[in-house]
Amino acid sequence: MSVSIPAVYEKVKAAVGKTERVKLGTIRERDFQRFAIAAGNLNPLFFDDAAAKAAGYPATIAPPLYLSSVMVWELGPPEDSMRADGTAGQETVGLPVEGVRLMGGGQELEFHYPVTDGMEVTMEVGPEHVELKEGRSGQFLVITLTRRYRDQNDRLLVTCRENFIAR
Amino acid sequence: MGANQLFFEDVKVGGALPMLVKHPSNVELFRFSAMTWNAHRIHYDKIYAQSEGYPDVLVQSHLHGSFLLQTVTDWIGPRGRVLGFRWQNRGIAIPGDVLTCTGKVVKAEAGVVECELEERNQKGELCAPGWARVELPRRS
Repeated sequence: MSVSIPAVYEKVKAAVGKTERVKLGTIRERDFQRFAIAAGNLNPLFFDDAAAKAAGYPATIAPPLYLSSVMVWELGPPEDSMRADGTAGQETVGLPVEGVRLMGGGQELEFHYPVTDGMEVTMEVGPEHVELKEGRSGQFLVITLTRRYRDQNDRLLVTCRENFIAR
Repeated sequence: MGANQLFFEDVKVGGALPMLVKHPSNVELFRFSAMTWNAHRIHYDKIYAQSEGYPDVLVQSHLHGSFLLQTVTDWIGPRGRVLGFRWQNRGIAIPGDVLTCTGKVVKAEAGVVECELEERNQKGELCAPGWARVELPRRS
């Protein structure tokens, strides 16, 4: 990569504390059910209204990890505009990290309110922390990106802190 | 509620969660990438993944997380609530690996239970450690 890690560090550091709000669109039951099936999780709370109501929910709920697992909520670019590794650049909305390789290191989540069909979800996203580190194969960054997902009534649904390694 | 409901009174610190065993396949990885709109080629293009030094396509970070969290939600039953969850990606996994998720209770106070989680492959190597905090109903 021709991008300098210290230069990206300075850009991310300057963005710490700043957030942007992104409209993600309407949550659809079919989408979160497909997500559950893809992950091999057939919990009735995700599929069966009666089971969800019996457990105190208004209707079927999305798997807790659904919102924070979707990498891109936009349409995504045409194939000839994608990067060589298949990513689109939209996976890291909120992070000024063009040109570096990012690896997801895991997430830390708080679940505030269940996600159900028809919710209009907005994501508030921005870097919370960045560190410049020296590894055996050179410098790298550890970035914590915070995402707060809210519904159309501004009710907080999920808080997600995701750690990325940028090289 | 059915017999699969866990109650706070049933939980003891040091107790184990039922084990969950997963067999990630190419089909599972493809569908998970599709549903998360994750076009990163390391998850579906073996030749590309090998060009980055991996033996095969990789299980997605969030799929590791989903397996660990399912271990928790299967255990707590429909009336349990997950309040918090975290996991870290420590080791890679590929289709054909057998991933075993385990957990143990580390704290149980005032209806809220915390547990530590681990996902290991068939060689016993740690792929993803995790932690969860859940709220459980009481019998009374």
